[in-house]
Amino acid sequence: MLKCQRIRDPLHNLIEFDPTDQFEQVLWQVIGSRSFQRLRRIRQLGFSELVYPGATHTRFAHSIGVFHTARRLMTLIRQHVKLHGGQVKEHQLQVALAAALVHDIGHGMFSHAFEDIGKALNLKMAHHEEVSDAIIRSSEIREAFTELGPSFVDEVADVIKRGRPGNLYDAVVSSQFDADRLDYMRRDRLMTGVQNSGIDFDWLLANLEIGEVKIGVDDQPLRPIETFVLGPKAFHAAETYILALFQLYPTVYHHKTTRAAEKVFSALMLRLIRLIRNKHVKKTGLPKAHPFIRFAQDSDNLQHALALDDAVFWGALPLMAEADDQVIRSCACRLRDRKLPKCIDIYDRLVAEPGTETGTAYLVEAKKRLERLTAAIRIRLTEWSDTNSGKQTGSPEETDVAPRILVDFASRTPYKPFRQTTGPLNQILIRGADNVPRDMAHCSPVVAAIEEFKLFRAYVDNTDQEAKQAVDAIIAEELGRERHARQTGPSESG
Amino acid sequence: MPDKPDHQKAAEIVRDAGGTIVGRTRLQKVACLLQLAGFEDGFRFGYHHYGPYSEELTDAIRVAEAFDLVSAEDRRASWGGVYTVFTSTPASQADDRTRFAQAAAQIDSIELELAATAAYLAVVEKAPNPWEETARRKPDKVADGRLERAKTAYRQLHAMKTRKKLPKIA
Repeated sequence: MLKCQRIRDPLHNLIEFDPTDQFEQVLWQVIGSRSFQRLRRIRQLGFSELVYPGATHTRFAHSIGVFHTARRLMTLIRQHVKLHGGQVKEHQLQVALAAALVHDIGHGMFSHAFEDIGKALNLKMAHHEEVSDAIIRSSEIREAFTELGPSFVDEVADVIKRGRPGNLYDAVVSSQFDADRLDYMRRDRLMTGVQNSGIDFDWLLANLEIGEVKIGVDDQPLRPIETFVLGPKAFHAAETYILALFQLYPTVYHHKTTRAAEKVFSALMLRLIRLIRNKHVKKTGLPKAHPFIRFAQDSDNLQHALALDDAVFWGALPLMAEADDQVIRSCACRLRDRKLPKCIDIYDRLVAEPGTETGTAYLVEAKKRLERLTAAIRIRLTEWSDTNSGKQTGSPEETDVAPRILVDFASRTPYKPFRQTTGPLNQILIRGADNVPRDMAHCSPVVAAIEEFKLFRAYVDNTDQEAKQAVDAIIAEELGRERHARQTGPSESG
Repeated sequence: MPDKPDHQKAAEIVRDAGGTIVGRTRLQKVACLLQLAGFEDGFRFGYHHYGPYSEELTDAIRVAEAFDLVSAEDRRASWGGVYTVFTSTPASQADDRTRFAQAAAQIDSIELELAATAAYLAVVEKAPNPWEETARRKPDKVADGRLERAKTAYRQLHAMKTRKKLPKIA
């Protein structure tokens, strides 16, 4: 008798792969591949472990959880299609399930923090979409998927690359109810131990239906498409689902200490790559054959990108903590000893500044004022830091000082009302009493009121009084300038 | 001389496109084509759900709105969604950039998305057959003769005077 392959998962308990099912056996082969096993060495939440010690779960566990959740969602689709006398498109279903399993395969060490470095240095192989695509189409994963048909692997890669559903089955990979989000929201909550952000998963799934919705681009309509819709009994569960994501951002994903570590990591890696590219390998503390050196010297090489993971980084820290280069040495010591720069929450200070407007114009003008202040302060803080720190050119002959002010700005909307930039496939749609699917933002005042989550912070070394004072002074000056402009007339352009 | 701030560059795209751009997707694609044609720089584009997309441009247009350099009005589309119309004072003088921006902004938004995607895939991703690749990635959008119309629109843009030649793909 063939033995069933089983994985014991902290969130889903048993995840099984059917030994008599060719498709699931191919997926099991994919899981055994070197590229997939690499995900065991990439933590799902990167530096969050410095804040939440339990958050050491990996992209490996998450990816298998996504597949398991996708398989459950597919059961719903099967039931729906059969109930309506249709034919399940097994091939499309399998392509979407395979995509769910390998969707994160290209993530690099510390995921998004490394992607920021990629953006700054234009490193193709630091973008997880690029790496995923290259791995899926060219490695032993292609070989495994070929058993399912010659074009199967390209179809899987296309679903991931497209990033938006081409058909109902793809909604399992990319939609507001995709398996990715349904897994990470629950897994991240479980592993960090945060007690907010819970969702009513089983009730949501029990009320998940398929509906046809209209779509378009800007003012132009497209043909309607089928996607997930919730039944009316899931209204409150849907509200909680949206609010849960809203809470995860400030409490976990954008936690100030996690972001501080990411900023230090970025400063270290930028300096490291620039030094290596300027032929100052000796200054880095790393041996010539180290994966970082190879990656920096030939960053378009997929194999060099695959050689990087969290374990490689942590393993390199003791060497970099003794580097000749002061920036590398100090950043490495900070991360090793968790001695991170302190956060100055600029956004909180700006929000605390009272406006003079009244009535409905207040909110609009207050938002505009925040945008203006944020833009002006960001520019000035960056200029101050560039002028008063060592230039990041990679030349050790330059003043050898790490950026004294690390500016952090990010925004995230947990739920956007139905508009063309997201499309209905990214909405939570709820079926009303008249059977018409409606956007949750149009039915729930709570969801409609959710604002974008914004962070605007400066990180400064605790002992660097001059930098701290500079931050305070710049904020005070810009607030004063804005106050003055409000009293004297309309804002100056730009 | 320091670069113009991003929000000013974003506002100038609306200004040079005739003072109105209908839709966020259209704004992104006009900006991307301006950049490929050498009329614009500094916005980093990546491949997203609707083809080439720059998060920096999204941030910049929001800041431009805050400085009252552009105004943004949300309108209800016939298909049920909401789209945004950006307006500013139109450019007072016509030149190669404004002519190009205005021509791009007049193209149907789905066809413009297809054209900008194909050009982006040719230049950035070095796709050997960018239209075929566009069709593969956007099967729902190329239907009803849109791909052919997108090629026609692109040919017209390609024939215009630009600082950098757009890729010859149609």
